[in-house]
Amino acid sequence: MTGELGKHLSEEALDDVLIGLGTAESEAHLAGCAACRAKAEAFAGDVRLFNAASAAWSEARGMRPVVVAAEAPVRRMPFALVGSAAAAVLAIAVGVSVGHHRHGTMRGDGGPGAVEDSQTQIAQDNELLQAVSVAISPQEVSPVDEYGLTARHKKHRKAHPK
Amino acid sequence: MATYPLGSLSTGALEMGATGVPRLESGGAERARTISELDDIDELVRQHQARIRRFAAYSTGDPDLAESITQDTLLRAFRGRDKFRGDCSVSTWLTGIAINVIRDHLRSNRFKFWRQVQAKGVDAQEMASFLPSDAVSQERRMLAQERVKRLYEVLETLSENQRTVFLLKFSEELSVDEISAILGMAVNTVRTHLHRALKAVRGRVGEGI
Repeated sequence: MTGELGKHLSEEALDDVLIGLGTAESEAHLAGCAACRAKAEAFAGDVRLFNAASAAWSEARGMRPVVVAAEAPVRRMPFALVGSAAAAVLAIAVGVSVGHHRHGTMRGDGGPGAVEDSQTQIAQDNELLQAVSVAISPQEVSPVDEYGLTARHKKHRKAHPK
Repeated sequence: MATYPLGSLSTGALEMGATGVPRLESGGAERARTISELDDIDELVRQHQARIRRFAAYSTGDPDLAESITQDTLLRAFRGRDKFRGDCSVSTWLTGIAINVIRDHLRSNRFKFWRQVQAKGVDAQEMASFLPSDAVSQERRMLAQERVKRLYEVLETLSENQRTVFLLKFSEELSVDEISAILGMAVNTVRTHLHRALKAVRGRVGEGI
């Protein structure tokens, strides 16, 4: 672990000692060799100075409190309410679909009248679904109400009948 | 274990647990104290803020970023205190969290980060001026300040890994095994980074002084 001259620690061996991984042989050499010890002490001295200055620098920046914000409780809809809402939507969707299918089947002509009827039905279905949506989420303002989409839609349909 | 007059530097590894991470310094009383320390955010700040800030500042080179990293580290530690198992000291655990916070930041803001470093890095001269006077002569004090400044300037030139392992070893005083565990890096890789960092520091700090 000593250098070419066999007198001093190689740089790598000295680094190992500084890192804390020196062999017993290296450490024994360091204990008895003033030149190698001076190198080690010079490095240790620089590190001590750096640590002292950097610690003082950091402390001088003062203590800054860490604010732990209270975590907002997660709002959860009761399971039963979610289940009921889902069931209601499903029932209405199935009902609308079946009703629409029967209506179309009974007419059975597929002509222009059927298209007109279908458009009206779609509008009615949409209104119904919007009403359901509003009914199952009463805590939130519906964009339909907020922007008067339904009224505008009706007005538009009156002004531009197909 | 033999020690040499290297100040706070240990010449040997700490006593290690079976898993390769250090054991808690003492028994049940210490653990109880540690847990209560983690339960009190103000105590965490008082005990560890300056040390984490220093590590973050000299790892990233950005004092403002270091503030944010320090706050985030302490907050994460407080919120995740139930995960502390006592396998290592609180200090080492916090350092591990700080390293993760720094990595997260580097991953998400690399370009912004380097731009910030260029604009407002740690002022080496200012940092060196914080050196305690200890009643030494003005000349010796100036020389000491110059060496501190040089050491910091050399650290800035090291790679990110070399700088981090150097700071963990010589400022945070962790053993090579602890550094290996905290960084998830092989012991031999840690040694290689340390050797390169030491070569640069020992070779260049004295230059021109």
